[in-house]
Amino acid sequence: MAKTQIGNEAILKVIDLDAGYAIKHKNKLVKFVHAVDNVSLEIRPNRITGIAGESGCGKSTLAKVIYGAIEPPLEVKRGSVLLKISDEYKDLLKMSRAYISRNIWWKFISYIPQNSMNVLNPMKRIKSIFTEISKFHGLEVDEEDVVKYIKEMFKAFGIPAEAINAYPHQLSGGMRQRVVIALALMFNPSVVIADEPTTAVDVVTQLGILTALKEWQKEKKTTMIIISHDMGVHAYMDDDIAVMYAGNIVEKGSVEDVFEEPLHPYTKLLISSLIRKGEKEFKWGISGSPPDLSNPPPGCRFHPRCPYAMERCRREKPPITTIDKDRIVSCWLYEKG
Amino acid sequence: MILVNADVNNYLLYIDKITKTYGYGLLGLRRFKALDEVTLALPLQEPEILVLIGETGSGKTTLLKIVLRIVTPDAGSVYYKGKDIFKLRSSEVRWYRREVQAIFQDPYETFNPLRTVDGYLFDTAKHLLGLDRKEAEALIDETLNFVGLSLSRVKGKKIKEFSGGELQRVSIARAILTKPRLLLADEPVSMLDASLRVNILNIFREMKKKLGLSIIYVTHDLATAYYVGDEMAVLYRGVLVETGSAEDLYKEPLHPYTQLLMNSILEPDIGVKNRIRPIKLSSIEIKEFIAPGCKFASRCPYATPRCHKEIPPTITVDNRRYVRCWLYAK
Repeated sequence: MAKTQIGNEAILKVIDLDAGYAIKHKNKLVKFVHAVDNVSLEIRPNRITGIAGESGCGKSTLAKVIYGAIEPPLEVKRGSVLLKISDEYKDLLKMSRAYISRNIWWKFISYIPQNSMNVLNPMKRIKSIFTEISKFHGLEVDEEDVVKYIKEMFKAFGIPAEAINAYPHQLSGGMRQRVVIALALMFNPSVVIADEPTTAVDVVTQLGILTALKEWQKEKKTTMIIISHDMGVHAYMDDDIAVMYAGNIVEKGSVEDVFEEPLHPYTKLLISSLIRKGEKEFKWGISGSPPDLSNPPPGCRFHPRCPYAMERCRREKPPITTIDKDRIVSCWLYEKG
Repeated sequence: MILVNADVNNYLLYIDKITKTYGYGLLGLRRFKALDEVTLALPLQEPEILVLIGETGSGKTTLLKIVLRIVTPDAGSVYYKGKDIFKLRSSEVRWYRREVQAIFQDPYETFNPLRTVDGYLFDTAKHLLGLDRKEAEALIDETLNFVGLSLSRVKGKKIKEFSGGELQRVSIARAILTKPRLLLADEPVSMLDASLRVNILNIFREMKKKLGLSIIYVTHDLATAYYVGDEMAVLYRGVLVETGSAEDLYKEPLHPYTQLLMNSILEPDIGVKNRIRPIKLSSIEIKEFIAPGCKFASRCPYATPRCHKEIPPTITVDNRRYVRCWLYAK
C-alpha cells in the first residue's frame, strides 16, 4: 500500500482522476464514455462538500470511484483516491475489493444511495437488516445495542418507533430513505457520500432529512459529500462546493463565495435558472443538455451552451485558474494574459 | 374553489364533493378516506392553470385518476362541460379522451423502453383523431415544434436516447396532439433537474396562452406553483385545507400546513441556512388519515385540544378564498 506524506488537511484526496464507462462489443472497445476527466479534489474534514451539476455531468461516477465501487463497465484509467486512515494516506484504488468491503465500507466511508427501495431486503424486517449488517462487519454487538441505536437514530430522523418491526414495503418512500440513512450512519463512518439523498421526496420531507443529516454531521464531526443537481440543496447544506460539467470540475470554492459571486457561466446559469419564491416573471432556464461524453466538443465543453463563448473557447480547453486560496475556476473569461 | 349550488354547465370541470375510501389493516376491512368531499372547479370561458398542492399521500393522484375515469369515487360526481363523466355514452368517451389528456411524473416510465417514442404519437393520431399517416406526420411535426422538438429529431428513437427534459416534452406533445381543452399534469417536473424545470413550466404557460388550454398542475413545490398558477388548492390527507388565487395564497398563506410548505422551499442563496427552522416530520400516514379532528393537528405548531377532536369548518375568507382551520373560526 502506498504511503504518502501526510498533509495537514484533507481527509480524502482525488488526484488526476480519469474514469469512465467502456462500452464493448465482442470484446472490442466500441466507445469510451469519459465521465470523469482529469478531476482533482480535496475533501476537507468536518465539512460538507457539495458536488453540483446537471444529470449526465459525471457527479455520480465520481462518487462511485471515491467509494471504490468500480465494476465493469466502469473503468479507472488514471489517478488515485487517497484516504486518510489513522494518519496516513492509502490509495483506495490499489486495495482489493474484499479488503474494501470488509474494512473500508460502512466503517470509514459510507454511501447513501438515491433509491432506497433497491437497498433494503424486502423479505427482512428493519430490525434484522440492522443486526445482519453489524454481524457481517464482525461487530460483537447484542441485539439490545442495535435496538438502542435504531431507536436513537429513528428519533433523530423522525421515524416512528413502530417501524423497527416493519417490512420495507410497509414504509413510505420518504420513511424508507430515512431508514437507509440511519443504516449508512450506523458505524460512525468518517466520510459519508450522499448521492441525491432527497431527489423525488416532498419539500417538507426533504428539509427534514437534510436538517437531520446536517445536525448529525455537526454532532459527530463527520465529513460529508453531498451530490445534487439542486442548487437550493447546496446553498442549505454545503461548506464547500464543486461544480461539475461534462466530466470536469469547472468551479470550486467555499459556498459563500460561489453563491455570492459565481464565476463560471455554468454556475451562474445553474443558480439563475431556479424558480425562487414569489417569482412570476417569464424567464428561461439553461437551454440544451450536457454533451455526449464519448465525444465531447473541442475546447471548453460548455461553449455550445455558453452565452459568453468566444472564438478561443471553441478551440482551446481553458486552464484551471486559481482566483484565491481554495477558489478555482476553469474558464477563459478569468485567464489573465 | 368551493362553490355551493353552482350550475355545472358554467364550468369546464366541476368536481363535486368527491369521496373515495380505501381499505387498510387486516384484509383491508377497515376503511379510510383518501379523499373527503373534495370540491373544485375550473371556469369554462377563460383558460386557467389550477395548481393542486399536496405531498405524497395527500390524495392528489387519486383525484387525478378519478378525473381520468380510471378510479370511480364512492360518492360525489365529476362534470365536464356539464356532463357527468361517469355516465358518458361510448361515443362520448372517445370525445372525453380527446378533450382531457394527462402527463405523468416520470417520463421514462410513461413510454415502453422497447418501442420507439414516435410510435406513441402516431398511435394517438390514428386512434383518437383517425388521421392517415401523412396527415399525422404533419400534425405531429407541428406539435413537436411547439414543445421545441421536431419529428426528425424524435423519429425511430427509444427512450434511452433522450434526456429527461426532452422526453417530458415528447409526452407533452403526445398529450396535446388531440387538441385537448384540459391537461392534467401529475408532478411533471419533479423528476427533472432543477435547472430544467423552468423550461417545461414555460411550455405550460405558452399552452394556456396560445392553445387556450386549462391545466391542473399537481406539485408539492410552492415556488413553481406560484410561477405558473392562477389558482391554488392545498390538499392534506384527502382534505382541501386552503384554496384561493395564487397571488393571495403566496402573499398570505393562512393554513399552518400551507405555511409549512412555503417555509420548506430551499432557495439558491446562502441566507437559506439561517432562515430555515427545524420541522416536525410526518408520522405514519394512516394515523393522520383516520384522525378524528384536523388531519394536520399532530404536526401543527398551533394545535389546540379542539383541533385533535373536532373537524375544522370551511371558513370563507372572501368569495374566492377558503381555509379549513380552527385558527380562523370566530
